[in-house]
Amino acid sequence: MAGSSFEYTVLTPSEEALRDEVREFLRTELPPGSYEPDLGMSATHSPEFSKKMAARGWVGMSVPRRYGGPERTAVDRFIVVEEMLRSGAPVGAHWVADRQTAPTIMKFGTDAQRERFLPAIAAGECYFSIGMSEPDAGSDLAAVRTTATRGDGGWFLNGTKIWTSGAHQNHWFIVLCRTSASEGDKHEGLSQLIVDLHAPGIEINPIPFLDGTHHFNEVVMTDVFVPDELVLGEIGRGWQQVNSELAYERAGPDRWLSVYACFEHLLRERVHGTPGARTAEVIGGITARFFALRNLSLSVSRTIDRGGAPAVEAAIVKDLGTMFEQDMIAALHDLWGAEPSLDAPTTGERMLARAVLTGPSFTLRGGTNEILRTIASRGLLGWYGLAGAR
Amino acid sequence: MNPVAPVAADPILLDTITRLFGDTCSHEVVQAAESEGWAPTVWAPFAETGAPWIAVPEGAGGSGGTLADAVGVLRLVGRYAAPVPAAETGLLGGWLAAAAGFDLPAGPLTVVPGRSEDDLVLDGSNLSGAAHRVPWAARADLVLALVDGRIVAVDPNGPGVEIVPVRNAAGEPRETVLFRGASARVADAPAGVDASALRRRGALARGALIVGALDRVGEVTVGYANERQQFGQRIARFQAVAQHLVRLVSEIQLVSMALDAATAAATVGDAAFEIASLKVLAGDAGSEVVARAHQSHGAIGMTQEYVLHQLTRRVFAWREEFGSTAFWREELGRLVGDAGADRLYPLISQGSAALA
Repeated sequence: MAGSSFEYTVLTPSEEALRDEVREFLRTELPPGSYEPDLGMSATHSPEFSKKMAARGWVGMSVPRRYGGPERTAVDRFIVVEEMLRSGAPVGAHWVADRQTAPTIMKFGTDAQRERFLPAIAAGECYFSIGMSEPDAGSDLAAVRTTATRGDGGWFLNGTKIWTSGAHQNHWFIVLCRTSASEGDKHEGLSQLIVDLHAPGIEINPIPFLDGTHHFNEVVMTDVFVPDELVLGEIGRGWQQVNSELAYERAGPDRWLSVYACFEHLLRERVHGTPGARTAEVIGGITARFFALRNLSLSVSRTIDRGGAPAVEAAIVKDLGTMFEQDMIAALHDLWGAEPSLDAPTTGERMLARAVLTGPSFTLRGGTNEILRTIASRGLLGWYGLAGAR
Repeated sequence: MNPVAPVAADPILLDTITRLFGDTCSHEVVQAAESEGWAPTVWAPFAETGAPWIAVPEGAGGSGGTLADAVGVLRLVGRYAAPVPAAETGLLGGWLAAAAGFDLPAGPLTVVPGRSEDDLVLDGSNLSGAAHRVPWAARADLVLALVDGRIVAVDPNGPGVEIVPVRNAAGEPRETVLFRGASARVADAPAGVDASALRRRGALARGALIVGALDRVGEVTVGYANERQQFGQRIARFQAVAQHLVRLVSEIQLVSMALDAATAAATVGDAAFEIASLKVLAGDAGSEVVARAHQSHGAIGMTQEYVLHQLTRRVFAWREEFGSTAFWREELGRLVGDAGADRLYPLISQGSAALA
């Protein structure tokens, strides 16, 4: 039998209490009809909302108490994220800082870096972007050409980052760059620097998203000085660190809940009483998959809390989840969609229009599913006891 | 209000049955059972262990044990394509017999699944009419059926019963049974024992068989792709093939998770939501996994000599039984529609418990 670590698990009573607390918070802070729900993680940037969540201990949840965090489990974070995303809550400001920056700084950062950033992240006041992709380094991330050259007490950065979501709103980004020439293996000689998005030499140019919204930016760095105390981890270990960072972002509810609120709104708007056969078939097919995917995703969080390293499992959840989101958009549009319109009269219809337009990005962001599957395929051998076959 | 914790099957039981099927269900035996309609060399040692009657209470003549044990055994039946009426004897027939207080015969049981084209009529203790797609009817000691709120049991080899041979896509007997005033034992069905409950148990059982077969499809396909050489290397090294492998294994993980969740829910309640989801996903996985498994294999997978077809034809057959994929999709959609948008997420996250 396949040796994956997926194992059915349910919430404990204290985890259920947390879920109920989050639901109550949302009923008070975001009563239905008082806001336009977002499509999952590409959410509205609202420092006000982020600070309210932080006051409850729901931002930077993994941060230990000694760094001002709530030191909660992966399952606790799963619960908070699940409730926020399914409501389309405005979690955009702290999103990256909470999901991947805080765990990365905790894992690779110096004590001074932890003291400096983690309390601010957990307070919902310090926001990060991701500085990985470049014009000539997409799926082939190790091809980055941004260089850091040695100066007095630090590094001078030159290069261009691209698809940098929220760079115009956030405070910092972690830049993957080349600190020494690659001789042979291009995975060597890479490093990560924590960079102030407001530092001299930074130029941020918007790249309008296809639906007219502004998430993406190009960030041009010209002789940006980064002091030694902002080098993250070890010089030359950037590739290993970045892969560890990417693993944090794969299996969460953000990979299968992007269109949930749209589904719920359309159900409320369009279905009154027992649905007819065709409508019921579509609703049933979507709901069954939500149910099983949620259990897979929750199981990954549980495994992480037990000290496991479910890398292949996480890749599988991301692949299954993001494809499901796209299939669901097609099924809902097929069933209920008129011509997609951002000016449609109802919330569900407007969300569906946004989903139709932006859905193709779901299997791209954080790395294309095709690349992800190639990585995951290597892990399958171990599951089937074929580790020696390579 | 909240879903129940996972329930594990007895590992010693699973180990015993794994070895038993490993020893008895060779490719040739499974193949021969398809033409002969029975495999005595599998049934006899399987019955010897008592496993067919697991989850039927000992007081009713069964082997005791939990629903999770029974589901675990069925998953192995699927994995080895074991040609035995395991679900019919235990989870379905044994359940009906125990509910009716009927004594269990020594041999296998079967049940009338209850299809729309059936027209069974009970006149006192005489049963008439046609029952369709009855598994292994000719080999069973007793056929059990639900007719008008009553549980009836008829000896299929007795007078007034004619069996018309019909097989499913996997060559398993699914006969038409014609009753002409056949003498039946009759008892009132207790609360909770009705046509929908039988269909749900049947769907859970078929779900377990399908997941078991898919477990092995995954193993066989990943194994083959890591042995088979073309263009001077293992075909699993080609990205196009690797994509098939990851996609098919992913779908297996998804439906396997649904089976575990449904088993836990069915241990304490009707599990209407979870079982409907399971059968939908098992049907969907059937299409996706089977297609990619065959594509990864090439022509060898389409032959009778190679194991794949014994599994994939069973998946095709089992997903149609006790409600097709489309049937359960619709059933689930109506359940969700009736619950309403406010209870949609509670259903997704808490399952049937959200309706309690």
